[in-house]
Amino acid sequence: MTGTIFDIKEFSLHDGPGARTTVFLKGCPLRCKWCHNPEGLKREKQLMVKIARCKGCGRCFTPCKHPKCQPYKRCVHACPDGLVEICGKEIEAKELAKILMKNTDIFKMNNGGVTISGGEPLMQWEFLEELLDNLDCHTAIETSGYAEGDVFKRIINKVDYVLMDIKLADRDEHKKYTGVHNDKILKNFEILKNSGKEYIIRTPLIPGITDTENNLKAIEKIIGNSKWEKLKYNEMAGVKYPMLGMEYKIDIVR
Amino acid sequence: MDKKLYDYILNKEHHKFRKEISLEFDKNMTPIERMTYRFEEMCKAERPVILEGEKIVFIRTVKNIPDIFSEDEWKEIKSKHYIHELGYMSNLSPNYERVIKNGLLKERENADEYGKRSIDATLELVGRYREEAIRIGRTDVAEVLKKVPAYGAETFREALQAFRIIHYSLWLEGNYHNTVGRFDKYVYPYLKADLERGAITEDEAYDLIVDFFLSFNKDSDTYVGVQQGDNGQSMVLGGMDENGNEVFNLLSKMCLKASEELKMIDPKINLRVNKNTPIEVYELGSRLTKAGLGFPQYSNDDIVIDGLKKLGYSEKDARDYVVAACWEFIIPKVGADVANIGALSFPKVVDTVLHRDLKNCNAFDEFENCIKDEIKKSCDEICDNIKDLWFVPSPFMNICMDCDIYTGGKYNNFGIHGSGVATAADSLEVIKKYVFEEKTVTAEELIEAVDSDFEKHSELLPKFRFETPKMGNDIDEVDNLAVKLLDWFADGLEGRKNCRGGVFRAGTGTAMYYLWHANEIGASPDGRRKGEPFGTNFSASLFAKINGPFSVVKSFTKPHYERAINGGPLTLEFHNSMFTDDDCVKKVAMLVKTFIDMGGHQLQLNAVNMEAMKDAQINPEKHKQLVVRIWGWSAYFVELDKEYQDHVMKRQEYIL
Repeated sequence: MTGTIFDIKEFSLHDGPGARTTVFLKGCPLRCKWCHNPEGLKREKQLMVKIARCKGCGRCFTPCKHPKCQPYKRCVHACPDGLVEICGKEIEAKELAKILMKNTDIFKMNNGGVTISGGEPLMQWEFLEELLDNLDCHTAIETSGYAEGDVFKRIINKVDYVLMDIKLADRDEHKKYTGVHNDKILKNFEILKNSGKEYIIRTPLIPGITDTENNLKAIEKIIGNSKWEKLKYNEMAGVKYPMLGMEYKIDIVR
Repeated sequence: MDKKLYDYILNKEHHKFRKEISLEFDKNMTPIERMTYRFEEMCKAERPVILEGEKIVFIRTVKNIPDIFSEDEWKEIKSKHYIHELGYMSNLSPNYERVIKNGLLKERENADEYGKRSIDATLELVGRYREEAIRIGRTDVAEVLKKVPAYGAETFREALQAFRIIHYSLWLEGNYHNTVGRFDKYVYPYLKADLERGAITEDEAYDLIVDFFLSFNKDSDTYVGVQQGDNGQSMVLGGMDENGNEVFNLLSKMCLKASEELKMIDPKINLRVNKNTPIEVYELGSRLTKAGLGFPQYSNDDIVIDGLKKLGYSEKDARDYVVAACWEFIIPKVGADVANIGALSFPKVVDTVLHRDLKNCNAFDEFENCIKDEIKKSCDEICDNIKDLWFVPSPFMNICMDCDIYTGGKYNNFGIHGSGVATAADSLEVIKKYVFEEKTVTAEELIEAVDSDFEKHSELLPKFRFETPKMGNDIDEVDNLAVKLLDWFADGLEGRKNCRGGVFRAGTGTAMYYLWHANEIGASPDGRRKGEPFGTNFSASLFAKINGPFSVVKSFTKPHYERAINGGPLTLEFHNSMFTDDDCVKKVAMLVKTFIDMGGHQLQLNAVNMEAMKDAQINPEKHKQLVVRIWGWSAYFVELDKEYQDHVMKRQEYIL
C-alpha cells in the first residue's frame, strides 16, 4: 500500500544505535508548540518554499502545465535556486523498503539499521506495518506513543528498538502544549515497559515548559529506571515555519 | 599546557622581535654559492630569543628571505627552463630520522662544501642560542643545545629540539612545504626509551609534545603559500611500516590529543589507516575532527600502496608513503617527485568538446570518444609543456635527503591534479540524458543555454541543476561517467616519461584550481552558472542535492583510485552541532571506517560552524581562532581573502 513520507535522512545520528537511515512519515496527531518538523504535521502534501534565499525573480509564479504544480498555483520546476518544492511524497511500502535497504551493507558493518520517524509514524500504521514486513535489517521507531493500544502493540512487536517520547507528565499541561491528553501515551508506555523490547524514553527539554523540576521529577516517577535521554531544545526549531507559510508561535524563555 | 606561552604565541607577541634584512649577491656567484651565502647570512642575522616557559626553542626573528636572483635574472632563467612555483624543490619529506640520530657533525663528514658551510652556519646560531640560554639562566635549554643538533639525540626532548632546528633551517634556506613525515615512527623510539628507563613520565612527554606542536605555529605566518595557512607542515601518523606492521603508538595518540587541545592550524595531521586499523583509532581521529580544525585527513594504505606500486614504487618505499603539503602521496627520504606540477580541468574538456563536436555526434558513445580524445590531448599538452625543469639548489635540504636532489631522487614523478570531476560527470549526464536519450534538448539549444549563462532557455537551468542525477547519490549511471573520466585521465598520462626520467601521476586533487579552472570557462551543462566554483578536492558539485553521507561514500568509492593515486580527498562537511556527544563521535568514526573499508583512498572531514563564520566576517577580532579547511590545508578564517571565505561559506549552503 501507499504511504506519504517527507524525508529520508542518511546517517542520522540521534535516531538509534549504529549507522542508520531515518525515514520520516508525514502526519501527526499532536501539535507540540515547539515542533521542529512542522512539515511532518499535516498528512497532505504541502508547498515548501525556502524563502530566506529567494531573490524574488517570480519565475515560479509563471503559469505552467505540470499536473503536480496545479494545486499550488506555483511551478515547482522553475526556481533557478531550487527553493520551491512539494513536501511529501507518496510511495509504495515495498518500494520504500527497497530504497532504505540499499545501504544494508553499511548498516551491517556498523550495527545500524533503519529508523522510522515522523510526524507520528503510527498515524500511517498499516503502511508502516507493511514497510516493516519488508525491511530485512535492524529497525527502530521514533514515536510519541500516541496511538490505540492494539496498534501500538502490533507495531512495537515488529521493530527491534523503540524511541518513545514522554514530554509532559501532567495531563492538562500535555493537552495545553501538545494538543492532546497523555492518557494513551502513558498506557502505551506500560505496554512498552512490559514488552521486553529494547527502548529508550526521550524528553525534549523545552525551556520553562518541559524542563521544569516538577515535570522531570514526575516523568522520572512514571518511567522508573527506564533508559532516559533528555534532548536539548533545538535552537533552530522555528526555521522551517516560514517555508510552509506557518508561524512559530511559541515564546521560549531562556 | 603552558597557557601563558600559548597566549603569547596566539597574540603574536613574539612578532616584536622581527626585523627585515636585505642582501646583495655578486653577479658572478653561482646559484649554489648564492644559496649558501644567503643561508650563512640569514643564520648570522638571526637573534636568539628564548620565550618564558618554552622548552623547544628557536624562533624566527628575520621575517624576510631576500631573493638570490634579480627580476632580470629570473626572467633569463625562465626563458631557458620550466620553473615550478617559486623555483625551489618543495613538497619533500626529508630524512629527519637520520639527521636527528646522527647529529649535524657526523652529517658534515659526508656533505659537499656547500653542505658543510650550511651546517657550520646552523651550528654557529645554535651556539649563540646556547649562550643566550646560559645568560638567562635556562640551563635546561643550554644542556639540550650542547648536545643537539651537533651530536645525535638520545632523549625524547633532544629529538624534538633537533627536529625543530633542522626544520627551522630548511625554512631559513628558503625551502617551503617542508613536510614532517612519519613523526610517530621515527621519534617514538626516543620516547619509548625515556619511558622505559624512567627518565620521563607520560605527562611530561605530553607537555613536551604540546610545546613542540606550538613551535610549528610560531613562524608559520612567514611561510605563506597561496593563502595564509598553506605552509605544508603535514605530519603523518599511523599506518603500516615497511614490514607491514602497525605503527600507531602512544606517541600517535599524544599527537592527536595535543592537536585537539591546541586547536592551531599546525602541524596538519594525516592519519594513515587500513583494513586492520581498529575502530578505536578512528574514534581518536573523530574526536579531533570534532575540534573543527579539518584534521585528521585519512589515507587508505590498502589503496595507496597498491597504486604506488603500480606506478613503479618499490613495495618497501610505497609502504613508507607520507602526505605532502596537501594530500599528494610522496615517498620520504628518497622521493623527489613534483606532486603538484600541473592540473587537468575536466569541465574545460567537456566545454571544448561540447562546442566543437556535439553537433556532429549521432550517439553519446561518439561524444564520449571525443571526450576521451580531448583528455588525451590535454594531458599531452600539460606534459609537453614541462621540460628543462630547473630548481634552485638547496644544500641543507640536500643533506637531509637520502638522494642527490640536484640530479634527481629515486623517484622523480610528476603529479597532475584533476579538477571538477563531479561538474564534468554531471555535465555529461545532462548531455547523455537530454540530447541523446530523451532528445528533448537539441545540441544548439544546450550550447545556447550554456553560452548565455542560461539567460536563453532559462527553464533548462533548474532542470539540469536540480532534477538530473548527480554524482554523489550512488546512481551508477552518473557515477560511472566519473569513473570513466578518471580512467581516461590515467590512460592519458600512462607511458609518458617526464624530463627528469620519471612518470606522470593522475590525481583527484584540485588545489586552487577549483576557483581558477572554474573561471576559465563560463556556465556548464550541469547547470553550474558562470563564475560558480567547482567542488573542492574530490567532492560532489556544490549545488547537487545529495541524499546523504552513505550515498556519497558509495559514489566516491567507485573510481579506480589505484590508477589515480596522486592524492586528493573526498571531503565531507558536517555542521559542528552534530557532534553533540561521544556517541556521535563514534558514529562519525564508523562512517570513516566504512569509506576506507569500501575502498576509498583519502578522506577529509570538516565540522563547520556557519554562524561563527558569518559573525567573523563582521567581527573578525572576535574569531581569531576560527579554523576552516580550504583545500589541502587549514587556515584561520579571518586571515583569508574574502573570495576564499565566501567559498567556504558557500559550501555550507548545501551541507549534508
